[in-house]
Amino acid sequence: MAARGSCPGCGSAALVEDSHYAQQQLVCAACGCVLAEGLLTTTYAEEEHLREVAYSQSTGQKEQLSRCLQRGIRRVQDLCKVLQLPTVFEETAVSYVQRALQHPSFHLVSLEKKELLGGCCVFVTCRQHNWPLTMGTICSLLYAKQELFASVYLSLQKELGLSVPALSLADLVKTHLNSFRLFQHTADVPAPFVENKEKVVARTMQIVELASETWLVTGRHPIPIVTAAAFLSWQSLQPAARLACTLARFCKLAGVDLPPPAHLRLKELLEILLRMASQLAWLRVFNMDKKTVVKHIGDLLQHRIFLLKNAFCPEDEEEQRAAAPGEASPGSPGAAGGAAQGEGCPSGGKRRPLLPPCLINPRKRLRTAAPSASDSAVTGEEPISDSEIEQYLRGPEEIRAFRKAQAWL
Amino acid sequence: MDGSSLLERYLERCDGQFKDDLSTSPQLFTPMSPYDVDLPIQTTEDVLFGSQFNQSKELPTDFSSVDLSFLPDITQDNKEQNLFEDGHEMQKELDGSTSNEDSSILTHESSLAYPDASQATEASGVCPPLTPMAPMTPVTPASESSGIVPQLQNIVSTVNLACKLDLKNIALRARNAEYNPKRFAAVIMRIREPRTTALIFSSGKMVCTGAKSEEQSRLAARKYARVVQKLGFPAKFLDFKIQNMVGSCDVRFPIRLEGLVLTHQQFSSYEPELFPGLIYRMVKPRIVLLIFVSGKVVLTGAKERSEIYEAFESIYPILKGFKKAS
Repeated sequence: MAARGSCPGCGSAALVEDSHYAQQQLVCAACGCVLAEGLLTTTYAEEEHLREVAYSQSTGQKEQLSRCLQRGIRRVQDLCKVLQLPTVFEETAVSYVQRALQHPSFHLVSLEKKELLGGCCVFVTCRQHNWPLTMGTICSLLYAKQELFASVYLSLQKELGLSVPALSLADLVKTHLNSFRLFQHTADVPAPFVENKEKVVARTMQIVELASETWLVTGRHPIPIVTAAAFLSWQSLQPAARLACTLARFCKLAGVDLPPPAHLRLKELLEILLRMASQLAWLRVFNMDKKTVVKHIGDLLQHRIFLLKNAFCPEDEEEQRAAAPGEASPGSPGAAGGAAQGEGCPSGGKRRPLLPPCLINPRKRLRTAAPSASDSAVTGEEPISDSEIEQYLRGPEEIRAFRKAQAWL
Repeated sequence: MDGSSLLERYLERCDGQFKDDLSTSPQLFTPMSPYDVDLPIQTTEDVLFGSQFNQSKELPTDFSSVDLSFLPDITQDNKEQNLFEDGHEMQKELDGSTSNEDSSILTHESSLAYPDASQATEASGVCPPLTPMAPMTPVTPASESSGIVPQLQNIVSTVNLACKLDLKNIALRARNAEYNPKRFAAVIMRIREPRTTALIFSSGKMVCTGAKSEEQSRLAARKYARVVQKLGFPAKFLDFKIQNMVGSCDVRFPIRLEGLVLTHQQFSSYEPELFPGLIYRMVKPRIVLLIFVSGKVVLTGAKERSEIYEAFESIYPILKGFKKAS
C-alpha cells in the first residue's frame, strides 16, 4: 500500500506499511528506518483496541473545538434547518458564533446565555439579509425567556459591533401570514371563512402601511399590528359572513397565537378608519360604527392619501395654536404665520392632529415640577445641623425594643 | 478700515452655513426674552459689535456707550443665573440712557439685525457657542435653535468614608436604614432632604443616588457621612465623585424612529420588540440617549452637566429633521 511522504533518512519514496508483530509501522523500503508507528489506523475501534493513539490526538475535527463552540454550531445548524434558511446564512451565523465565543466578554457568561448565543447569531444573520424573523419566533424555538434573549442580543450587538438593520414590516407581513391556516379548505374551517391568500396579503400590507403613517407602529411590537391588520382585511373581503367573527376566534381558526396587544391595535385601527370614513362623501350619510366601517375598508384604502389629509390636521398646528398666544414678541413673523395656519384648520368637524396615541391620550404626569429657585441655591457645602442628623438615629430604648422585636422574628 | 477687518475676522469664525439662513429666516430674533439685548454681545467680540453698531446710522448711539466689560468669562453652570442678571442690568442701563421703552429697544435690536443682514449678508450678532439658555445657537439657523433645556433627574455619586463599617450595627441604630444581607451586601439608607438614597458598604464606600443636582448630591452625601459619624464610626469624606447624570426633556413633536434608525444606523439601535424607544449612542460627547416616539428624550451617561446640554443640542437638529409634516 502506497503511503505519502518520503523517508527522512534516504529520501526514497518507497514507504511501506508493515506490521512488526501486531504493531503497524511505516517503514522505508530502501533503508529500513521506521518513520512512524500507529499512524495509519483509520477507525476508532482499532485505536481503542490497540491504544496506539492518545484520545486527545485523534484526527476527529470536532475535538479541536471547545464543547461550547460545538454546541453553538450545532444549535445554529439545527435552527437553520428548521427555519429553512439558505446555506449562506448558516455559514455567516457559524462565523458569528465563533467570533462571539472567542470574545473575552463571553467567556464567563452563564451557560444558559451561551445556549442562546447560537440563536442570537441566526437572528442577526437573518436581519442583515432582510429575512423577516422575529425574536418571538427564535425564543419559542429555543424555549428561551424573552428578557434573557434580549440581554444576550444587545451585548452581542455591542461587543461584535454588528449593525443590524431594522425589521421590514412588509416582509414580516408576508412571512407571518404564511403561518395562517385560512387559505385552504380544511375540516375545521367553515367554507365562508376560507380566503385567497394574495388578496389578504395585499390588503393587510395596505392596512399596515396606513397604520405606520398614522403613528400606530412606531415603538410598538410589530406582530400584534400585523395580526389586527390581517383580521380587518380578512373581514373586509367578505363582510357579510365574517363580521360576526371575533378576533380571538379568527386567531384560533387561523392557528396562530393571539398576542394581547392585538385588541388595542384593532381598536386604534378602527378609530383611524372611522375618522377617514367621515371624510368620504358617500359615506357621510351613514352612521358609521366599528362594525359597519369594515365593509368599506376597500374604498377607504383606495383613497387613503386624500382622506388622511382631510381627516387629520397637521401635528404642528396644535403646537402653533397653543404657542401663539404664549409668545410675547411683537411683530414677529413666526407668530403671525402660526395664527394664520391655525385658522386654516377647519373649525367645523372633529379634526384631531395626527399624533401617536401616547400623545393623544397622555397618562397623568406624576413627575414633580422643575426645581425651584431655592433648590438651585444649594451649594453642597452648607452646614448640617445636628438636630437634622439626630432625627435619623434611634434612641437607646428604641434600640432595645427593636432588638426584642427582632428576636421574635 | 479697522472696523471692517475686525468684522471679517469675526465673520470667518462664525460658521459659513449661517450665511444663507440669515437671509431666508428673518425671524432670527423671534424667540426673544427680556435679556435678548445682551445676547449678541456676550462674547469677547464685543468690540466688533460696537463697530457694527457704529455702521448703522438709524440706531441710537447709546449702545456704543454701554460698558460691556462687566460680562464675565463664565462657566456653563453660572451662565443661567448671570444671563438673568446681565439682561436686567443692560435693560436698566439702556433705559437710563435712552428715553425709549423696552419694546422700542427690542425693535431697534431687530432692525439692527436686518441692516446687518443686508450689509454683511453674513452671520452677525450671533456668536460662537452659547449656553442652551440662549435662544440661539451659532452654527445652526435660528429656526433650529432649541430653546429647550434638559432637566436633570438623577445624579449618582460615590464617596469613600475610609473606615470599616459594621453594617448590622448601623442598621440597628439608625432609623432610616435597611439591611438584608441575603439580598444585598449593603445598608440602604434614605434621608428626606434632599430626597436621596445611599448604599453603604462595609468597606466604607458609599453610593448616593436620587439627587437632582450636583450640589444636592454632595450635600446629601455629606449628610450620610454625618449620620455614620454620629453612629460612632470615624467616617471621612474622601474622593467625592459624580459618576452618572441623567437628564430628560421634551422636544414637543412626535419623531419617526424608523426613519432615524435608517439614517443614523451606526449610532442607533431601535428594536420595537424589545423596547419602545430608540437607543442612540452619541460619540461626542459620550452620552446615551433614549428617544421616544412622543418626543421625550432621556440623556444618560454624563459626568458633567455640560455634556448633557451639548448632547441635546447636537441631537435636536437631527430630530427636527424627522418632524414629519403630515
